[in-house]
This record gives sequence, C-alpha cells and structure tokens, in this order.
Amino acid sequence: MGSHPITVTVNGAKERLNVQSNETLLQMLRERLALTGTKNGCSAGECGACTIVMNGEPVNSCMVLAVEADGAEIVTVEGLAKDGQLTLLQEAFAEHNAVQCGFCTPGVLISAHALLERNPHPTEEETKLALVGNLCRCTGYLRLVEAVQAAAEKAAPSVPMKGDA
Amino acid sequence: MYMPSPGLPEFDYVKPTSPAEASRILAERPEQARPFMGGTDLFVRMRDGLVRPETMVDVKHLPGMQAIRLDAEEVLTIGAATTLNQVAGHPVVQTRYPLLMEAANSVASYQLRNRATLGGNLCNASPAADTAPATLLLEGRVVLYGPSGERVLPAEEFFLGPGTTAIQPGEFMTAVRFPIPPAGSAGKYLKLGRNKAGDLAIAGVAVLGFPNGTTSGHSFRIGLASVGPVPLRARQAEQALAANPPGEESFMLAAEKAMDAAAPIDDVRASAEYREAMVRRLTFRALREVWAQMEEGK
Amino acid sequence: MAVSEATSTSDPVGKSVRRVDVFDKLTGAATFTDDIQFGPNLYHARLARSPHAHALIKRIDTSKALEVPGVKAVVTGEDAPELVGMYLVDRPVLARARVRYFGEPVAGVVATSESIAEEATRLVEVEYEELPAVFEPMDAIQPDAPLIHPNLGEYEVVPFIFPEPGTNISEHFRLRKGDVESAWPECDAIVEMTFGLPQIQHVPLEPHVSVALWEASGEVTLWTSTQSPHAQRDLIAQSIDIPHGNLRVLSPYVGGGFGGKAGVTMEASAVVLARAVKGHPVKLRMTREEEFVGTTMRQSLVAQTKIGCDAEGNLLAMETEYYFGGGAYNDYGVNIARAAGYSCTGPYDIPNVKGDSCSVYTNLPIGGPMRGFGMPEIHWGIEQIMDQLAEKIGMDPAEFRRRNCVKTGDTILTGMEMPAIDVGACVDKVTDAIDWDKREEPSAPHKRRGKGIAIMWKAPAMPPNPGSSAVVRFNEDGTLNVEIGAQELGQGAFTVAAQMAAQALGLPFEWVRVVGPIDTKYSPYEWQTVASRITWSMGNAVKAAAEDARRQILDVVAETWDENPEDLDIKDGVVISYRSEREQPLKEMVVYGLPKEEEEGWRGGPIVGRGSFMPTYVTNLDFDTGQGPRAVVHYTVGAQAVDLEVDTETGQIDFLKIASAYDVGKAINPDLIMTQIEGGAVHGMSSAFEALRFDERGRPLNRSMVDYRIASAVDVPKEIHGDYVETPLEDGPWGARGVGEHVMVQTAPAIANAINNALGIRFNNLPLSAEKIFLALQEREQQKA
Repeated sequence: MGSHPITVTVNGAKERLNVQSNETLLQMLRERLALTGTKNGCSAGECGACTIVMNGEPVNSCMVLAVEADGAEIVTVEGLAKDGQLTLLQEAFAEHNAVQCGFCTPGVLISAHALLERNPHPTEEETKLALVGNLCRCTGYLRLVEAVQAAAEKAAPSVPMKGDA
Repeated sequence: MYMPSPGLPEFDYVKPTSPAEASRILAERPEQARPFMGGTDLFVRMRDGLVRPETMVDVKHLPGMQAIRLDAEEVLTIGAATTLNQVAGHPVVQTRYPLLMEAANSVASYQLRNRATLGGNLCNASPAADTAPATLLLEGRVVLYGPSGERVLPAEEFFLGPGTTAIQPGEFMTAVRFPIPPAGSAGKYLKLGRNKAGDLAIAGVAVLGFPNGTTSGHSFRIGLASVGPVPLRARQAEQALAANPPGEESFMLAAEKAMDAAAPIDDVRASAEYREAMVRRLTFRALREVWAQMEEGK
Repeated sequence: MAVSEATSTSDPVGKSVRRVDVFDKLTGAATFTDDIQFGPNLYHARLARSPHAHALIKRIDTSKALEVPGVKAVVTGEDAPELVGMYLVDRPVLARARVRYFGEPVAGVVATSESIAEEATRLVEVEYEELPAVFEPMDAIQPDAPLIHPNLGEYEVVPFIFPEPGTNISEHFRLRKGDVESAWPECDAIVEMTFGLPQIQHVPLEPHVSVALWEASGEVTLWTSTQSPHAQRDLIAQSIDIPHGNLRVLSPYVGGGFGGKAGVTMEASAVVLARAVKGHPVKLRMTREEEFVGTTMRQSLVAQTKIGCDAEGNLLAMETEYYFGGGAYNDYGVNIARAAGYSCTGPYDIPNVKGDSCSVYTNLPIGGPMRGFGMPEIHWGIEQIMDQLAEKIGMDPAEFRRRNCVKTGDTILTGMEMPAIDVGACVDKVTDAIDWDKREEPSAPHKRRGKGIAIMWKAPAMPPNPGSSAVVRFNEDGTLNVEIGAQELGQGAFTVAAQMAAQALGLPFEWVRVVGPIDTKYSPYEWQTVASRITWSMGNAVKAAAEDARRQILDVVAETWDENPEDLDIKDGVVISYRSEREQPLKEMVVYGLPKEEEEGWRGGPIVGRGSFMPTYVTNLDFDTGQGPRAVVHYTVGAQAVDLEVDTETGQIDFLKIASAYDVGKAINPDLIMTQIEGGAVHGMSSAFEALRFDERGRPLNRSMVDYRIASAVDVPKEIHGDYVETPLEDGPWGARGVGEHVMVQTAPAIANAINNALGIRFNNLPLSAEKIFLALQEREQQKA
C-alpha cells in the first residue's frame, strides 16, 4: 500500500498532495481538498454525481485513481462560477427550475458544461445522450435538457446563414 | 452473498516505464498483479470482492498504448488503452470503421467512455462487451506483450469464456489491429438494453456487409453480444447470406440462423427466450439497414 | 415556463419566484450531510449484515474484529437491545437473537477509517441457525407459515393500528359500507382480478448517511439526511431512553427522499455505535448497494379486487383485499396498509364497499413509506378495472371516470364528507392535452399506438394530530428570518415558506431568508416532511407566524401614530396608513422599535412572530367498519393521460406524452408545481419498470444501479404536459394543498391502460418490461395460430 506524491491543478489552483494507491479522485477531492460539491452517489460509475472535468473531458471521479491525476487539470462544480457570478449554464438551470434536491446537479452541470465546450450547439437528442450518465430522480430530465439548450443558444446564438435576410 | 465495500481494497500502484518492465511485474506475481487501463469494470469487481489485485500495473502510459495510427499497409492500430471516446472520435475510425465507432459509442455513458478503453472492454471478456462483435467482424487482431515479446492473435481466438481470454501470465494487451475493411462495406451495431441507452446489452448484433465474389455477390458478417459465453460470429447465417441474394427473405433466414447460433442464459437482465427472439429481430433489422447503406453507397 | 430573477417581488404567493436554494445548489456550496467537515476526531462505522433471510443468531464473536488496528468498538444487539418504530415498535437497531432479512445489521464496527471498519465487519463471526423463510405475503398469511415475529403481541403500538399476534399480520384494516352481497346481483358488469406489485426502491441520488456524537455529558447530536428531524428526535430518544432535550438532530439539505428518508431507517444504528465511543462523532453511510438492501423499500402488494357497475355505468359495489408485503419490519408500513384501507376505493363514489387491507411480515427488506404511501399500489389495480368496466358497458373510459369520480360533498367510503375538490376538471384537462378522442396512427407499421387515462386520490396519511410550527424574526434592516422544521428535499419547501411569510407580512420576497439546516435544538417543531403535508400544514404555521409579527408591528405603529391598526397595512416592507397616509419603513423599527411621538421614550422592540398549526378534527374509525366522521384531513385528486407506442417486434415502449392535472387548491409557486408534476410523471413511468429481485433464499439479485435501472435522460416522454385546478382547500394557506406525492400515483395504471389500448393486452403484475410485453404478444400470436 503505497502513497504517492502528486501535483494536480484543481479549479486553477496547484495542489501538492500525497495520495494513497487505492484512493479515488473523488475521495481526494472531497476528503483532502474538501471540495464537497462533487458528490458520491454510487462509487460504481453509474450515477454521474461525481462527474468532474479532467484534462478537458468529463469523467466519473469515482472511476479515477487520485494518483492518475498527477499533472492533470481538474475542474469541479466549484470552479464554474467566478466571483459569485453564475455561468450562463448555471443561470439557465436557475431560470428553468432545473434544480430540485441538488445532489445530481453538480455532475449534471459538469457534463453539460463539457458538452457545450465540445459542441456549442447540441441538438436536444445530443444533449440527452450526453446526460445518460447523470441520473436524476427529481426533475424528470426535460428541464435539464431545456436549460442546456437555452444556455447554448444564449452563449452563441445560432446565426442566420449568409445570404439570409 | 457479498456486499461491496465502500471503497477500493488496498493495493500497490505501479507505473512501469517500459513494456518489458510491465511484463516482468505481471509475470512475477501472476495471481496478484493486474494490468490497469480504464478500471471501469475492474473497480466495480474489486469493490464486489471478485478480484483482489495486490498490484495494479498502470500500463496505459506505455508508448503507443493510447495512440491510433493508420500505417502504410493500411492497418489501423489502436492502442489498447485508447478510451472509447477517443476511438469513436477519431476521424479514421469515423470514416472507415463506422461499425467500431457505433459499438464504442453504445457503451455506458459519455463520461464513462472517457475512462473505459477498447483494450479493457475486450480483456474483460464479458459476453456483453459491446466492442467485441465489431472487433470480430472487422477482423481485429489483438496484440499481446509478454515475457517472450509480442504476439498477435485473431480476436476470435482471444475470447475463451466469460471473463476468460488467451492472455497468459505476464502478458497484457497493447493494441488491436484492424485491416482496412473490404471495399464498399457498411456496418451496423444494434443493441437492446433495458434503457434506451447506457445499459448493458440484453442482446447486441453487429453486421458488416460488403460486395464480393460469393454466389450472392455479397458477404455479410454477423457478430453477437450477450447471447453466449463469448462474443460470437453467426457463421451459418453468414453462409446463408453468401448463398442467397440479399433481401427480406434471406435476411429472415439469416436471422433465424443467427438465433440458432446464440446460446443465451436467463439472468436478471433478461430471459434466454427473449434474448433469442431479439437476436433474430436485431439481426434482421441490422441486415436491412446495412443493405440499405450498401445500396445507397453503390 | 421560465423563472426570471427579480430584485423585488411584491405579493409573491401565486408567482413563480426563483428557488431560494438554487444558488448554493448550482455552485456546489449547498451542504449535504456527508459534506460536513468534522476533523480528525471523526470515526467511521460499518455494519456487519446477515447472510440469511431468516435465522437465529446462536453466537457472535467480535474478538477478531476488535483486534484490527484502528478499531475502536464493536457493537452487537446484545449491547444495543433497543427497538425503534413509528407506529409499531418492532424493529431492533441491531439484530438480537434473530435475523429476519438478508442484510439485516447484526453488528457495527467503529474505527478510525471507513476501510478499517469495513475490514473488521468482515471478521465478525456469527453462528446462525437458519429458519424457514417466507417471501410472498400470500404465503405469509397461511396458518403454517413461519412466524417472523413471535413477540408481535408485546410490541408497543399506536391506538389505531391492530396487529394480529400469532400470525404475520401486523395490521388489518376493515372497511364496511352498505351491503356488497345484495349489490352484486344489481350489477350489469363485474370485473374481478388479482394484481401484484414487487418491492421497489426510492433511489434518491444521495445515499443515507448519519453522523452521531454521544458526549460524555449525555448530550447526543445526530447529523443526518432525513425528512424527519423531529420524528427522529422523538423516536430515537424514546428508543435509547434519554430526555428528548438531550438529543439534537441536525439535518442539512436532503439529496432526495421520496419517503425513503422518512421516520427512522439506519440513523439509530449510528447513535448506538456512537454510544460506544463517547466524545467522537461517528459517521455511518450507506453504499449504493446497501441502499437496495438495508434501508426501506416500497412494499409489495397483492390486490384481489372485484368491482361492479350497472348498464348506465354507475358503480354499485366493490370488494377488495389488499395484502402488502411489508418485509421484515413493519414499524412504518402498518400505516400504509391502514391508509390503503380507508382509501381503498380510489377516487370513486361507490355505495357498497367491503375492503380489507393488511400488512404482512415477510423475510425481505424492510417495507416503508414511498411517494404515494399505498396509493400507487392500490391504484394499479383499481384503475385497470375501471377501464375494463367502461369497456364492458361500452362507455368511454374518461366519461366513466367523470361519472363515478368522487365529488365535493359526497359521503365517501368512511362516512366522511368529501371536502371541495374537482376530479372532473382534471380529467377534462388531461384528455384535452392528449387529444383523447382522436385515434392516432403509429409512426411505423410494426408499432401500435395507444392512449390511456387514470385518476387518483390521496390523503395525507398521518396520526390525527401532526403539528407544524414556525417562528419569524426580523433583522435590523427589515429582512426576515423564517424558522421552520420542514425539510428542503428538492420539492421547494423553503421557497414556499419564504413566499408565504413575505406575502403575509407584506415584504418583498427577496427580504426573506429561510433558516437552515433544520436543527431540532433551534428549529420549531415539524412532525415530518412527508405526506405532501408541508405546503398545507407548515404553510399554515408560517402564515400564522407572519401574521403574528404583522400584528405586533401594526400595534406598535398604530399606538405611536395614535391610529387604529385596522387602518394600517404593510406594503413592500413599509407600514402605511390608509387614513393618514403616513409611512414607516420596517427597517430598524422591527428591532429597535419606534421613538414615542407624544413623549420621551421608545415603543416596541424586536419583533418575533410565532405560529403553529395542527389539525384538530380527525376522528377515530370504527374497528369493524372503518366508519367515522372524519378519517383524514383532506384529499388531493388528479388525472393523468398517457400517449405511447409499442414496438411489437421488441416490446419496447416510446412514451410520446404524459399529461397530468391535479387540484392543488392554490398554486403558491406555479412553476414549482410543474416541476413536481414533470418529475413525478417520470418517476411514475420509471417505477412501472422497476423491481427488486431476489433469489429463492431471499438474497438480492439486483442490488446496484447496474441492474436496478431507473429512467435516464433518454427514456423520458417526448413531452410532459402539466396543469392544475384550483379548488381552494378550506384550511389551506391561501387555499393550498400538497401535490408532491400525487404526481406519480396513477402513472403506472395509466401506462397499462394505454398499452391495453394499443395492444389489447392487460398486465396485472408489475414490473412491466419490453420482454414481458414482447412475450405476451408472442403468446397471443401462438394462441391465434
């Protein structure tokens, strides 16, 4: 059972940590860095409540060893809003009442955030598929999808093609 | 009956810097050391107490393990630790191996596919592995690295039983190699789960079709997931299609034969009876879709 | 519908204001129990669980577990002999002498880390003597069935629950109205069928978690994710025999409850484990897999139901027997059987009724409350029979329901007069929403399209006297703290509390803060956040507290101005006089009072308003007949219609639309009601496909999210339509009644009716699955051939 020194950037801040071999990234974020916005809902990669961005892509942090994050750039839900200013995506979730109990919300936001990074104008179907790994028992999902679509539209309104009046 | 532990059991984590070093660690303690790539199935099985590795050998950073390249001989080599999203998102895979792309995209969720790897999906040797039928049909060859160096094995010889593969002590998978698919080929992977996406397959059917010199003028390969101890090819169905001209009638016949090839079990996900019926239905649908693509592509 | 952020919202009741908890929940700042930091003093606990469904414990040896470095204590049922329970005190905190389901905790280990505790639980040696087990309620009621609770007669029980010692029946409710025997011959159509539902799980995204601290002084603190902080204080303090004032229950945000975090589930275990390591907080959290094994489940049900009507479609008689599979302990479940008994007809006016509703012990996980509390279970059968009766007499199913549904002023099955509601208006709204009368074509030749409807009722199922209370306190600048004991589970309780306080006091909505986390040491009493009772009951308390504060403010101002309080009002945080047109901002005066105008000195002081509410009118029901003047406080009613297509080649269903309408009395926050309706429709849809599965020895087969599937984003209906009717509730705040549970009660039978409409096949047993539908289609083909 070894411990490993790692350096990891979390929400822009560089951290130097000693992590255990069997420690997951989820445990590291919650227990070492007290970034408790990222939730543990199943420890099995099924519910998506622990989704974070690692090196630009969303992953289930319960499915990553902390030691693997050595040198990585991590973004958690705490890293979305800056100086108390909600992002367009978060704002859309508030406007569309796409939050209920709030336990799945951080993971959903991260998945949606990553979706819009790679695909600024997802179709409704693409948004649903991007959220397959984020279970929610409260909302019935449609408002999550509406909020993502609305945020996409607001961030980069679909512009008329050249030639359109 | 075991209740899973909250966290992962204790183990050592090592990150070898060469394949030889990885192989040596694996060979020294074949029962206790495990190659580690994505971990998405392994972590769950470790929490379930089904496997208890003492050493996790992180092989995914070894040279080439996460690379996709098309060489001069038109062989596509996909590093075993390439994530399913990297596989599905690669331009060469998208344009020339769309069947593999579909199969990779059908696994679990987007965020899990950023961890799950092609090699891991195959090495687990789950009968339900979604990429296995596509790998069989695309004539994938798995590259294993071990104490005596590299060996290459047709995918069909790789799967020995549920959870059992041809990997020998000290070996780990480094890549899967795919020849260029036959000219004019089209493919489809149809998967039926309890949810519309994201579930394990109750039944999965891959079809690859292409024109060639058979009696019918066409070949169709058919691969099945989750309906037998290993992912399998429905050879008799394929033969029927080589002998009979493509169309509803021959597709129906082939679907029947695919169903006969399946040897499913009853489990918590579905009954054998339903699985058999779905193999027939999905095979028929996949053949029809592939044929339509081929007609369109002419 | 969208909610925009305003800076000043006057008269917020009836407006879709933004949730008060949304910023914290969007930024990761919202604290849930597992997020609270305790520092290095924290210990962790794990439970050793029974591998048998029914066995005697012959011997427990904890010595090996105690030897593990880092282990601080191992606790067994011998050290913790307490029983705990809401209505029937039948449940040991840790099993003693006997285990009654697979996974029952037999010992707890406290250690310096969760993994050490886990390792040690696997070293607890238990010698069992296996006993015959029984899993189905119909088997468990047989005279020769293994007796699961030989001491049933010795348990404490509330006066309105009637266990039958010597059997596995933990409650038997009898409903007798009119004379069914003489009514059957009058019927032109009779349908008699047996329906079944399996146990299902709530699957809140947040697993159960508790942290308990037992101080050397005897003070106990429990941080926990619960719908029931005050009920836990009451039940656990009684169980461990400490003064209620010594037990403090703190509950931050709850990551979904759905009934699964009501009453006491695993929390008492944390408390008895903490007793062994005084001075250290002890954290006990369930894995997702344990959620499916060691918390509570929705009970299973076998319903044998017969209903008849005349040729004009008037319902004449109903006879029904409900047997709830209550699992190993029925401490809460007994009241589900009772609720199903006194509401056994569903939302129908039937002159002759004979109903028997029992909860039955089985050797399966503990049955308990889940969203709907018996109503989804009984409506599954009732609503399918109503469709068949309509079909038999050639009447449109929607029309059949309009004709027979319970109406304002009806004398319902228990003899109670039905308070004002409008089922018919709900039926009209949902039939309009899905073009009920229009036969629509499926999207492909191998698909079949169908529409189905179902209606529902549900009363809050509670003791007769569950109370709510609230306190409002002003800050110096006129902003207001609202203190409540109701829990924010996601349903919007805090937002609604803020709206009501602002409305009653005349403040802008944005001036109100709701005080969390709920802390029984500081938060006013609230029975439990269950039964869809919060908007109504807590709402009444909040309104009363705000009105109390308002009265105090107006008295001070009126006296200062030498005016009559009746001439004064508060608008947007300013006291105004309609007579003199003077104005006095609340700022400062609500804490510092006002200088007297007629002389030196000051008047008033910090304004604190208090309010409480408790229904006082619910009566007992007769033991033999279930008759009594007032069985329940009120009912909420509604209707749902489903439009779907079935793929006949695979059995898969595409949900095109679910339309719902409920009579909410008054929509305090219309968009929050829509979020309940939409989320509930999907929860109801998903629940129709869910089941806990067990092997022949009662061991779980799908205790994980891998194999207990819930609906994900791709499974939901293409469209979810929500609507409401507002027939004011006599004693509801602004006329409001609750709607949190009702939204999924009738979804499963509405789906079943739509499938029947599409295929002509009925499914009497849940769960549905593509496989089941496909095999049924195949069987029919074979019969035809």
